[in-house]
Amino acid sequence: MSVDVSFTPTLGAENAAPQSRRRSWGGQAAAIALRGGSFVAFAAILLYFSLAAPFFFTLGNIGNVLGQSAILGVLAIGLTVVIIAGGSNVVTGGIDLSVAANMGFSAAVYASVIQLGYGDGPAVLASLSTGALIGAVNAFAVVVVGVVPLLATLAVMNVVAGLELVLTQNTVVPATTDFLSFLSAAGPFGLPVLAYGLLAFTAVATAVVQFTPTGLRLYATGEFPDAARAAGLPVRRLIAGSFLASGVCAGLAGILSVSYLSGSTTGAGDMLLPVVVTALLGTVFSRRLVPTITGTLLSALLVGFLVNGFQLMNISSTLVNGVQGLLIILVVSATTLLRRQEA
Amino acid sequence: MDNEEKSGFGRRELLKLSVLAGTVAAGAGLLRPQPAFAQAGELSLKGKRIGISTAGTDHFFDLQAYNAQIEEVKRLGGEPIAVDAGRNDGKLVAQLQTLIAQKPDAIVQLLGTLTVIDPWLKKARDAGIPVLTIDVGSTNSLNNSTSDNWGIGKDLALQLVSDIGGEGNIVVFNGFYGVTPCAIRYDQLVNVVKYFPKVKIIQPELRDVIPNTVQDAFTQITAILNKYPEKGSIKAVWSAWDIPQLGATQALTAAGRTEIKTYGVDGSPEVLQLVADPSSPAAADVAQQPAELGRVAIQNVARLLAGETLPRETYIPAILANKANVKEVSKKLGIG
Repeated sequence: MSVDVSFTPTLGAENAAPQSRRRSWGGQAAAIALRGGSFVAFAAILLYFSLAAPFFFTLGNIGNVLGQSAILGVLAIGLTVVIIAGGSNVVTGGIDLSVAANMGFSAAVYASVIQLGYGDGPAVLASLSTGALIGAVNAFAVVVVGVVPLLATLAVMNVVAGLELVLTQNTVVPATTDFLSFLSAAGPFGLPVLAYGLLAFTAVATAVVQFTPTGLRLYATGEFPDAARAAGLPVRRLIAGSFLASGVCAGLAGILSVSYLSGSTTGAGDMLLPVVVTALLGTVFSRRLVPTITGTLLSALLVGFLVNGFQLMNISSTLVNGVQGLLIILVVSATTLLRRQEA
Repeated sequence: MDNEEKSGFGRRELLKLSVLAGTVAAGAGLLRPQPAFAQAGELSLKGKRIGISTAGTDHFFDLQAYNAQIEEVKRLGGEPIAVDAGRNDGKLVAQLQTLIAQKPDAIVQLLGTLTVIDPWLKKARDAGIPVLTIDVGSTNSLNNSTSDNWGIGKDLALQLVSDIGGEGNIVVFNGFYGVTPCAIRYDQLVNVVKYFPKVKIIQPELRDVIPNTVQDAFTQITAILNKYPEKGSIKAVWSAWDIPQLGATQALTAAGRTEIKTYGVDGSPEVLQLVADPSSPAAADVAQQPAELGRVAIQNVARLLAGETLPRETYIPAILANKANVKEVSKKLGIG
């Protein structure tokens, strides 16, 4: 935020005065459009798909989308916590680029532990500890050493991706156990267990981040670090904690991924950009345009519904990338306009 | 006379009858393939929705097979629901899941890691959707369209042996004996060489690797050329696919040992180009017919939906491209 403020006057000065009225009008429109419009747009997309593809609005299909969004959702929620605690400036704020690689490595650890003949208990423990350990390394690099999160987590991402290659030799490690089959099967009402998992996880994360004093402190740390420090908040501990939480989320996503893909597979790194996009896009689903857990969930589901609806309507899914890109440009330009207006 | 006539008539009658019988038999013989032909013409997917799922379309093989499937479903009057996972297993599974929920009349899966897709192919079958595959040997698939690897191995081995005049040392890449098609091709080479006692496979055999296949093959061939420096001491290099062949060919050209010939399988466009170059050591490459694989898989769907029973596997012949016919083969495959 502080960086944003220092940027704004320079940008404002570049634009000639006569245009300022129109800009502020544009900013206001953008604010209104973003605050209410995102929900309207979401509803409109759902409505459109429901009319165009009759199968879309069925419990089974919605359950499928929820289940398919579980891995992305859990990772993006982990990243959201980091963004909340580190501030939402994309360059200098909180970011964890290692989440996807972490997920891949945790999944590989899970599958390898199963291959070695251990049960699900030790595998779950190993996977979550792996995630947490990688989170701790991030926290150390950022909080103790003082490296910018963007660079610190980028480096960790590469190390972790390398570790996964060493562990799996870049091959698929199959794993099937009763617990994994349970996770990838259908639960009550025929909905995937992963769908319930995502909803339950979001509920817990929302409770912690949006409704506890700790959550409030995370926001304070991210948005006004100086004020938070002056108020005596343990800023460093909160930021470290956010990376740890993100790491654990990645470990959890790793477990979900092993169940979904019946083992650990290569190419987890491809997940990184969708996760970042989801977390950034999530801000439009909040009243004050800040990152929130529910906003991130909605953003993950939006992408999930788009991909699903396109497939149901028999439209090439590659178009989803374009739509996603368009949405990001819209969101980023609108928030930029808005910030300028506020300044 | 009367008698004679009678008997003559009788004989003539017999002759006539036998001619008639012969004609009928011949006609039937001629006609027998006809019903099959007529049926192939009658194949229809009118009003059917066919799910087409692929692991990716970033290789020549996948793209050809994928597009051919879509075209064939449309040609037969059906509606293709085609999804491309872009080599992303998570996407592949999500697409299969949605596809199953869409309840198409059949699903055809092209490639994909067996352990990842198999549980979902089973779910499709449990949901009452027939599943067919291309190049995926799954127990949950009713029919798998694939190349005839026995034929591929035999054709390549015979071409090699005939090119080198039935004698000489050959270098063999045998790094993927664990992969069934590669094992079959290798076994066929050994079977053929067995009857040409003057042909020797140089021991130890080389191990091709993934990734960095080309570089690695280049290095290994360069090393073995140093070990066998005099011309004629090596006659040919064999590999079970054509990416090691690519590296080997480059190494031979670089070392000026173009008298040694190279052999491989898959019909990768870059290798076919080398085969077409008269001065290149690349002698032959057996090309699979990906587009034909795609078309046949869809025709099998139509047969299945028409109530026919399908064989476990449908083999598509591969075409051997050598210096003489490579131009035609490339044209047939739609390359260049």
